[in-house]
Parts: sequence; structure tokens; C-alpha cells
Amino acid sequence: MIRALAMIVLRDWGCHKLRLTLTTAGIALGVAAFFAIQTTNDALVGSLNGTIEKLAGKATLQAAAGNAGFSFDAVKTVRSTPGVKIAEPVTETLAATTLGGTRLLILGLDTASDLQLYNTAADRSDLVIKNPLVFASRKDSVAITSKLAERFGLKDGDKISVETSSGPAVLTVRGIFAASGIGDVYDGNVAVMDIYSAWETFGRGNRIDRIDISTDNGVDVDAVQKELAARLGPGIDVVRPDLRGKSLENSVTTMHAGFTILSIVALMIGVFIIFNSFTISVNQRWKEIAILRSIGVERRGIKLMFLAEAVILGVIGSCLGIAIGLLISMASMGLVTRITATVYGIASSTPELRFEPAYAAAALAVGIASSLIAAWVPARAAASLDPAAALRNIETRRSEPRMNRLRLAVGALLVAAGLLGVRATPPGIDSYIQATYSFMIQFGMIMLLPIIISAGGRVLRPVMDRLFGAEGVIAVETMARSPRRTAATVGAIMIGLTFAISNASLIQSLKLAIDQSLDKALAADIVITSSDQLSSRSNHFSDASAAAIASLDGIEAVDRIRVTTTKMNDREVALLAHDMGEFFRISPDLLDSGDPVRARELTSRGEGVVISNNLAFRSNLKLGDALTIRSPKGDVVLPIVGMLDYYRSEHGTIFLERSLYRRYWDDADVDYIFIDLKPGTDREAFKSQAAAALAGTRQAFIYTHEEYKQFAGGVIDRFFLLMYMQTIIAIIVAAIGLVNTMLISVAERKREIGIFRAIGGLRRQVVKMVLLEAVAISLVGFAAGAVTSLLNTYFLINTAAKVVAGFRLPFHFSFWLLGLAVPAVIAMAMISAWFPARGAARLEVADAIGYE
Amino acid sequence: MTEIIVSLDNVCKIFDGAGSVRALDGVSLDVPRSQRVSVMGPSGSGKSTLLNIICGLDVPTGGRVMINGSDLAAMSDDDRTRLRREQIGMIFQTFNLMPTLSGVENVALPLRLCGTGGREAEDRAAALLERVGLSSRGTHRPDEMSGGERQRVAIARALIFDPPLLLADEPTGNLDSATGDEILRLLDDIHDEFGTSMILVTHNENAAAICERRIELLDGRIVSDTLRSQG
Repeated sequence: MIRALAMIVLRDWGCHKLRLTLTTAGIALGVAAFFAIQTTNDALVGSLNGTIEKLAGKATLQAAAGNAGFSFDAVKTVRSTPGVKIAEPVTETLAATTLGGTRLLILGLDTASDLQLYNTAADRSDLVIKNPLVFASRKDSVAITSKLAERFGLKDGDKISVETSSGPAVLTVRGIFAASGIGDVYDGNVAVMDIYSAWETFGRGNRIDRIDISTDNGVDVDAVQKELAARLGPGIDVVRPDLRGKSLENSVTTMHAGFTILSIVALMIGVFIIFNSFTISVNQRWKEIAILRSIGVERRGIKLMFLAEAVILGVIGSCLGIAIGLLISMASMGLVTRITATVYGIASSTPELRFEPAYAAAALAVGIASSLIAAWVPARAAASLDPAAALRNIETRRSEPRMNRLRLAVGALLVAAGLLGVRATPPGIDSYIQATYSFMIQFGMIMLLPIIISAGGRVLRPVMDRLFGAEGVIAVETMARSPRRTAATVGAIMIGLTFAISNASLIQSLKLAIDQSLDKALAADIVITSSDQLSSRSNHFSDASAAAIASLDGIEAVDRIRVTTTKMNDREVALLAHDMGEFFRISPDLLDSGDPVRARELTSRGEGVVISNNLAFRSNLKLGDALTIRSPKGDVVLPIVGMLDYYRSEHGTIFLERSLYRRYWDDADVDYIFIDLKPGTDREAFKSQAAAALAGTRQAFIYTHEEYKQFAGGVIDRFFLLMYMQTIIAIIVAAIGLVNTMLISVAERKREIGIFRAIGGLRRQVVKMVLLEAVAISLVGFAAGAVTSLLNTYFLINTAAKVVAGFRLPFHFSFWLLGLAVPAVIAMAMISAWFPARGAARLEVADAIGYE
Repeated sequence: MTEIIVSLDNVCKIFDGAGSVRALDGVSLDVPRSQRVSVMGPSGSGKSTLLNIICGLDVPTGGRVMINGSDLAAMSDDDRTRLRREQIGMIFQTFNLMPTLSGVENVALPLRLCGTGGREAEDRAAALLERVGLSSRGTHRPDEMSGGERQRVAIARALIFDPPLLLADEPTGNLDSATGDEILRLLDDIHDEFGTSMILVTHNENAAAICERRIELLDGRIVSDTLRSQG
């Protein structure tokens, strides 16, 4: 019997190639997204860790202190620690070059040492500088990788121009090393300078970014690590290189979470498409199933037939999906690397893609399981088909029951409970529990879909009747009387719109909040930055450059800011060192809480700090509490004298006096300059003046207040790139759902369409009827989506933003996008239904109405 | 001279497939206005194919079909559809009502498809439903009606344009004998009232008995064509 059923399935595939393609595509799409996301993520994490490990060479420990770096003096402390064999100081500078826009990672190493850590047979890095004495004695010496040399045709003696904080500097190639080991990171865009030259060239004082440490053979590395931590103090972390990679990995958790959600969405799409395709299959084959049942095939046999088909399609679709996923991974590597670099400020080599059999096996299992889950309900429906009823006339097929009171009650209860949770849950509750509120609201709305469809049908019927006549009425009635078939698509449109509109609303709310925050905390007329990124490890203004700007004509007040980070509760909190007196002068309405006069007085004397509200929220801090900030020279403990809404970091922001920062961090660099102009000074003229003052000395980005707000909006858009991708995927699902539903609708109504034609309905009237049904479905989906997106926006702004980042955001609902969605949804419906409508119009009437 | 409403001249229909089937083989037939013709014959004799070709649902492989003076071969699909909608009423064994529409809406549908306003079309439909004895059930949907009621709705729908020709395919085939007899009486009354020509495909002798003319088909050929004396 199994062979006979298999033959029937194979024949059916031959007859319904479109459905077969849709089903396989559904599985392949879900699996491809799953596999691509896992592979890309793995490659990214591998690349982050690989970069750290390769840069660390043979080091067993590393000492580092966030973005600001720390004094070279720490090297002596490390070298004098028992158990330490080698301690190599390192500076890292990511500098723009004239080599076709390439950014070069310039490592400052002590080239007078034997560079043992980076030059062993084991890692074959071949970092050999032929003449270290000449190399070290000429301050412009640089060694580059053979890969870079090949790419740009560089050889010994050639010049490379690089951006530094005091203007462009010309370096001379005096060594080429193999592109392996440390030369293998950043696609070989790596150069080595002597550390003393690097300090001078890049104006780093005597600060270093890390110390690579090798311990004596046989010593307890953990014990050495503890001893070093104790000797170096709280401002410098001593970690194993692999754990440093982990720490960077933690920084991209938001992106990782975004990827995971994307992966789940993709799988849901797959399940949805397969479910719809199998439903089509059952509907197309109901007569065939009835015949099989009537000739003695048991219910179990019918069910097995569909489930076996699901497994086979699962295998085929999964294999296809894995191949597509690999291609997607290859294509998306560049994008992912860019996001990590521009948004998170973490540069890594272009991830190396590897085919991971374990992920492939997992993807195959996920694909088959998804197929089985999706096919389960249609298979059960096929098995429970009453053969006698299935062979009866269409008039005897009663319309589906529209209302199930229990279902409606559960749906209403879920929505109410979700909203209550959003409204009433205190902030300390676990974030996963709070995430379920959104799920409850959306799932509740899905359960309420039958009543929404029914109500939608009642509202639309007279409108469609008036506008489109009988075809409109039939379209609405067909939609309303098949809630099972319709609900899947209405649900898909609802979820798609919810994603699109609530994400857009969240982004708009965040932009609005940042806008308001920038008006309050950055009331400067002019903002000058050293980098086109929110934070940069390597591009800074020197104290002298900042002083040159500060001495320009027309300035009323100037605030120089160093932007860096500090660790607090294992999280990287933004640390902003301002000229606090000037900061308060430029932005007098800075604080949301705290006495501004006292806060200005205390902070400008370095006797107090201001923190962001989200840091207070996340760390349970309040005004007057003592805040401990770790610095390379020990803990800085200061009272909190003011708080404000500030959105730079989801982990929080600390504002402190720059002179205090310079003292504790030995860092005079400046990243931002806020300038208030004297009344009557022309902003554009000042911008030109500032640009001229900096011309030829270094790269600077000069904005007016409004321009800077635009720049910040652009950064937010980049940050939410994944959300936009999710939205696009959700819209694709909704469109595929509509195509599927219309195919099912046409398949189920073949006879009805035949009757319509038999009694005088023209082909174009059939097309019109099918298109109008799609429009009706999309309008009801739109209505359901509008309500759900409003509720989900409430969740995102009220709960998610607080849980994820401690942000307090104003409620902003994107009504304009909702308005735009109406024509978009109708257009999508028409396009999606066009093919099924054409198919319906081409039906052979005599066949359709079941003549012999 | 008697007006011919249906004229078939040497009509052939061959279905190509694994083995080609000659469903109609040189059928010639003239049906004058107001005449009722029963078409009888065993399964596979070509009765339904004949009906499909007369109403323009199918096209003949050879020969010529004229309906009320129009040559079907010269008409586009849309023109044939309009002809079917406005000049031919169709009644099916399986009623073939639109399940999503009420009785009145089903009857009004052909009118609405050619642009008549909803109110006007439904008023006319309600009047026809009253004529077929179903005024109280007009707002019900087909799944809420008995077989006889459904067939009455189908007859009312067939009459909405007051067509000169009614085609009925086993109109009593899905009904019990008492209900079947009621439907035949209704068709008889309609003929008397409207003077509509009818072609009834049937196995039912009672149905054939209301017709003046009886045609028997076998293997796609007319093997008998007899006129019943009016009595």
C-alpha cells in the first residue's frame, strides 16, 4: 500500500508543480535563513575571537583598560611580577590611509625586542624586521603585510600617508612580513611600527592599549593573573585573550539577539508556507482522498501519506536551504562586519566562512521537523475527511463555524493579560517574562481573528456591494465564510504590519527622545567630531587641535569632550569627560533631576558626576549615591549630583570633569567639541572658519546642531538595520501568505467559479472577484494589524525599551506609516492575487462544475 | 414560418486523449421556439456534451451551432458568456447555486453581473422567487435549504432574463419523486406562462413526458427523434 500511496503522491507532484515549488521554497527559505544566520553568527564570533587571538600571538594573558588605554608605566609592574616571562606593550591605531580608502590597523610594538610573542614557528607569522635598528631609528618606519604590499604594489622605501590626530603623516615601508598570524587579521590591512614612533606619530603620549603577556612554563596562569590584577589595580583588566574575545562577543549581544529573532521569524515563515501549501494540497485532493478512503485506505494511511510527503519535501527543501543559506552567508558577511564596525565600533577581519556539518545537520533536522509540524494539521484534516461528504455537492459543504466562544474568550483574556502585564509589571521582573507580554498580545489577537474577520465582512459587504457590485459581495462573503482559510493570511498580514509599524514607531520614539535629549544636553550651535562614527578608538583630536578650535573668533563657550568607556558590573558604560562648567553653560537645561547650579559647581571642580537615567535605572542608583568609576590609577568615587535622559549607550552614561579624567586616565585626547557662538555669529561662516583651521592637520566633521541631529538619526537607522530586515521579511511572508491563500481559495472554489462562469460571469469578472477577495482579506488584515501594532508599540516603548536599555521613551505611534500601509497592502494584495485570479479565469467551466 | 431557437448542423465533438472519444457524431437538430425537447440515452451517449455545446460551454470539433440566430463559432468567449447569461437559462442536477449567497442574491446574480443595481435586481429576484413558490426562503443560504427549494431557486435564477431557451440537465435527478414531480409541474407552468423553449436531458420518463419531442442518443448519434402528439 505504501508504494501505491507513494506513486499517488509522486503523480500529484507532477500535476501541481506550482504547489510543489511553493512548499519546497517554503522549507528552503526557512532553513536557508536559519542556516545562514547560524553560520554568519558563528563566523562573526569566530572572527572576533580569531582577531583577538591572532593579535595576541602567543600571549597567555592580556592587560587592557577599555578604549582610553593606560600608562606605559604598567609594563614595568607587569614585567616585575613573578611568573611573567615576556610582557610586550602594544598600541593599536586604526588609521585612514591614502591607499584607496583602506583603513590600516597599525600596531605599535617594541621592535627592539625579539618579538618572540609574534614570531614563532607555531603561528608562522614571520614578523621579522630585517634591520630593527634602522627600523627603530627612523620614526616613519612601518612594516606591512605581504598581502597589503601585493594589493597596492608597495615595496621597501614606498610611502603611505595616514591620518593622525595632528594631521596627515607619511610613513615609509621598511619591512614586509607574511600575511599569517597577526598579519592575517583585517584582510592583511595590518602594519607594525615601533611603539615609540607610534606614540609620537599618533600623539598617544606614553599610553598603550594593552600588554601581551607570556607566563613562565609550568606556572599557574590563574595565579599570575590574580597577582597582576592586584598589582595593576581596578582600572586595568587582566584576562586570557580568549575571554577578551568573549567580552567583545557580549558587546554584540543586541545584534546576536536580532539575528536570533530573524532566524525564528524565518522558520515561522517556513512553517506557515508549508502549512498553507499542504492545506492547498488537501483541498486540491479532497476528492482523491475520498476515493482512497472509499476503496479501503485507512485514515492512518492517508495521514501517513501526507506526513511522508512532508518528510521527503523536508529533506529536499532543507538540502536546498542549506545551499542557499551558505550563499546568503557569503553575501552577508560584508554587511555584518560593517554593522559591527560602524555601530559597535568593533573592527574584525572579514569573517572566514566555514561549512559547519553540525549546523547543516541541525538545519536538516529543523527543516524536517518544521515540515512535519506544518503538515500535521492538514494531514489530520485529510485523514478525518468524511468520504461521503467529500463527494457530495458544494451546497452541502456547510460554511466553517465562525465562532468558538472558548477560543474568543481565551484570545480576549490573553490580550487583556498582556496589556495588564505591560502596564503593571515592576521593572525588576525578568526580561524573558516581560517579553511574553508581546507574545500574549499577538497570540490573543490571532485567536480573535475569526471575530475580526466576521466583523470586517459585515463592514465591507455594503461598501464592496456599492463599489463593485455582485463580484464585491461574493468576494467579501467568500472571505467571511471561510475564516480558517482566511485567518492564516489575515494573521500573516497582521503580524507583518505589526512588525513594520511597531518597529517604525519604536524607532521614531527613540529618534524623538534622542532629538529632545540632544536639544537639552547638546544645545551647542556647532558640534565638531573627530570621527564619522559614534565612537572611535583611533581618531581623536589632540589637545592642541582642540585648543586651536577653541581660540577661533566668535565663540561664546566651548566644551571639549573625550568619549570612552569604563567597566561597571561587567558592562561597558559610556564615559564622557566634559569641561563640565562649559557643558552646563552651553546646555543649561541639561538635568532632569538634581540642582543644576550645585551640579555645575561640584562637577566642574571634579567633586561630583552626572549620570544618565538608564544607568540609574539599571544599577538602581539615585541622587546622592556614591558612584565608583574604575580608572587605570585606581577607583574614582564621586557623588551623583544630577541625572538626565541620554541615549548613547544601552548600558548607561557617566559625565565627569575632563581635567579629572586627564588626571586619572592620562589622556588629553578630545573626540567632540561643542561650541556656542556669540550672538550674531553666522554658523555657516564659523563652520568654514573651523574647517580652514583644521585643514591639512586632521580629519574633522563639523555640524550645526540640526545637522548633528540628522547624523544621529542616521546612526539609529544603521543600528536598527536588522529590524528593517525583519520588517522586509515579515512583508514577504504576508505576500507569500496571500498568494497561498488565493491559490487555496481558487482551488477550493473551482466548482463555484465554474458555476459563476456557467450562469454568465465573464472571465474578467472572475479576475475581479478573486482580486477583490484578496483586497477584502488585506483590508481586514490591515485593521487587525493596526490594532495589534498599536498594542505592540505600547509594549515596545513601555516595556522592551526599558528592559533592554533602561530607556524612558515618549509614546509615538507611526500613523503616517499606517496611512501609507493602506495603499501598500491593497497593492500587495492585487499583485499577490493576480496569478491565482488569472488561473481562476482560465478554468474550464464544464470541468469545474463537475460534468462527467 | 416557425422560428428556430436552436439549430445544430452536423455537430461533432471528439475528445482527444489516450484514445480519442467521439462524444457527438454528426448531430443535426432544429428546436423551434416554445418547443420542449427531452434528450434521453444511456450514460456516455453524449447528452451532457450536447448540452454543453448548445450553451457554449464547449465548442464543437465540427459542424455549426446557431442559437437564436447567432452562430456560436463566430462569437468570442465573452460573447458566448453573455449569450448564456441573457438568452439561455440553465438548470443543473446538482443545483449549482453560489454557496456564499442567499436565495435572492443567487437569483439576482446574473442581472447584477450585467450591471443592474442591487435593489432593482433583488426586487426582480424576489418576484421570481414568489413565482416559484419560495418567497419566504429568499434570505436563506443554499446550505439552509432542502433539495427542492434549491432547485426552485436555480429555476428562478434561470428565468431572471426571461430567456427564450431553458437547458436542464437531469433537473429531478437529485430529488425524491414527490419533489421531482413538483419541479416538473413548475417547469410545465413556466413553459405555459413564458413560452420558453426547453431542452431537458433526463433519464426520468416523467420528465420526458412533459416534452413534446423526444430525442434518443446513442454513441453520439441521434437514433430516435419523435414528436409526441398533443393531447
